[in-house]
Amino acid sequence: MNWIYEFPFQLTIDTSAIDRGVRSFALTFDAVLRVIRQGLTTILLAISDLLTFIPWWVLVLLVIALYFKQSKRLWMAILYGVLLSMIGMIGLWPLMISTLSIVITAVILSVALGFPLGLLLSLSERANMIMRPVLDTMQTMPVFVYLIPALLLFGLGRVPAVMATIIYAIVPIIRLTNLGIRQVNAEIVEASRSFGATTLQTLVKVQIPQAFTTIMAGLNQTLMMAMAMVVTASMIGAPGLGAEVLIAVNRIEVGRGLVSGSAIVIVAIILDRLSQGWVKPTEEEGV
Amino acid sequence: MKKLFLLFALSILVLAGCAPSSGTTKLTFANAGWDSIAFHNATMGTIIETLYGYEWEEVMGSTPITYEALMSGEIDIYSEIWTDNLASYENDVATGRFELLGMNFDDNNQGLYVPRYVIEGDPERGIEPMAPNLRYVSDLPQYWELFRDEEDPSKGRLYGGIPGWAVDEILRNKFDHLNLGDTFNYFSPGSDPALSAALSGAYERGEAIVGYYWEPTWLMGLYDFVLLEDEPFNEALFADGVGEFKSSDVTIGVRRGFTSEFPEVAEFLSQYSTSSSLTSSALSYIEETGASYKDAAKWFILNHQELVATWLSAEEFNTLIAALQ
Repeated sequence: MNWIYEFPFQLTIDTSAIDRGVRSFALTFDAVLRVIRQGLTTILLAISDLLTFIPWWVLVLLVIALYFKQSKRLWMAILYGVLLSMIGMIGLWPLMISTLSIVITAVILSVALGFPLGLLLSLSERANMIMRPVLDTMQTMPVFVYLIPALLLFGLGRVPAVMATIIYAIVPIIRLTNLGIRQVNAEIVEASRSFGATTLQTLVKVQIPQAFTTIMAGLNQTLMMAMAMVVTASMIGAPGLGAEVLIAVNRIEVGRGLVSGSAIVIVAIILDRLSQGWVKPTEEEGV
Repeated sequence: MKKLFLLFALSILVLAGCAPSSGTTKLTFANAGWDSIAFHNATMGTIIETLYGYEWEEVMGSTPITYEALMSGEIDIYSEIWTDNLASYENDVATGRFELLGMNFDDNNQGLYVPRYVIEGDPERGIEPMAPNLRYVSDLPQYWELFRDEEDPSKGRLYGGIPGWAVDEILRNKFDHLNLGDTFNYFSPGSDPALSAALSGAYERGEAIVGYYWEPTWLMGLYDFVLLEDEPFNEALFADGVGEFKSSDVTIGVRRGFTSEFPEVAEFLSQYSTSSSLTSSALSYIEETGASYKDAAKWFILNHQELVATWLSAEEFNTLIAALQ
């Protein structure tokens, strides 16, 4: 009777062996991990320095100009400028810059790794089959499950925060690059082949331009998912707006949480609109 | 086909909903995530279940969320209220937002820790003493280079309190009071598991690290850390970061109205009292044997019978021991 509701046998997994494995891995590959960490730190600090160097009004004007250029809607552009300056007025500007440096680093690295990987997947059926469950895992595995080992390996701070963000946010750019290339009309590809183009030439001159809109949509998604990781990243010591939200949540200060949460929303909306703008003009040209 | 499947799924749900639910009352404990609270929950729960016949369960959540749930009545028993970590505690007790039953333990330590090998070295692991004269928190600036912050190599990194805990603010004040800012960055570790991972990761690699932690915890039981000394405790200036931490009162609280509903349970809980070292010994037992919290609770009760006897009437005590043996 019992086997209807209970499993007839149980397996015990030796989880402490995994624990020991991770720890000894951290010890054995300490030097390698250190190099990775230092490399990432260098990139991160360079981007952070650049963003800190830009005066606030330049950034505000830049947002207005960029948005106006792509949408031709002056009032909306000014509204975004005002919203951005609001973050400065409520005293969260330095935190926003700190958050942005992590998000932008993560997005740049995601694209640098994800775009070529997406191309590879679009060309190889086997690679695609192997990677699909991996990508699913990356998006659904609860963050803290792999974050704690990452902390044991890399220590706390902005570097593991960037890595956690990449693992989560790299997936859309891989998927949509893959999808975009695959969706390019087979006849167009055939035509370019029949004119004697090599695989590489077809890819660079025909398929990637044709798939550009989809790839950019992937970039936009990657950016948004990186923003979504801001609070989680602050749980492993990344400074910025996420940390502010975390403090507010931990003390049930609803007002403070709403204010810093809204700042995250503003940054996300502006990044979303600006990155969507890259898609639209080519849509018109491309057709 | 689709509809059939939906119907099937729905009927399963309905069936599950109709499953006979047990008629006994379930008492809810808060589990705020650290291990000693889970151990105390199991010990209290085991005794309550054996003697008074109430089932018990735990609700997981962060400190502020479970604390808020205690006051809204969703949680019945909070076995470890770390009073110094809750800014509104005094006020909540005074206004009767929950019922305070007694002290679980009040002999714990907290403060800034360094691994023992930083001061004394560890010949077994081939670690030379790095800072042989480090004893006080105020000695830290001399040794900042040991604790270098990789993300800002011009300073050392001091791992501070968990954001939102009252101790975080006190540590920040201490940081300013001792002018540690000239040589150190105050690094906010973000969360409790992140801080534990940082400390244990550094310890495993034999690196120097300085950070906030507290006892009793499995981490302090498993690794050998030294609490840095400070000026004597100062009641008036403590919140401004002057002087060492006094041990925090860790109390037992129940939701409003609990005492009148479950007088016998409340009577037992008001007598319940342990100590930091007793709790540590139980946590080490778990760490060494891989026992569950319930097993550890049973082990604890049977191994500390003279203590358990003070919590209960003689008759209850005999029933309990007979039932557990």
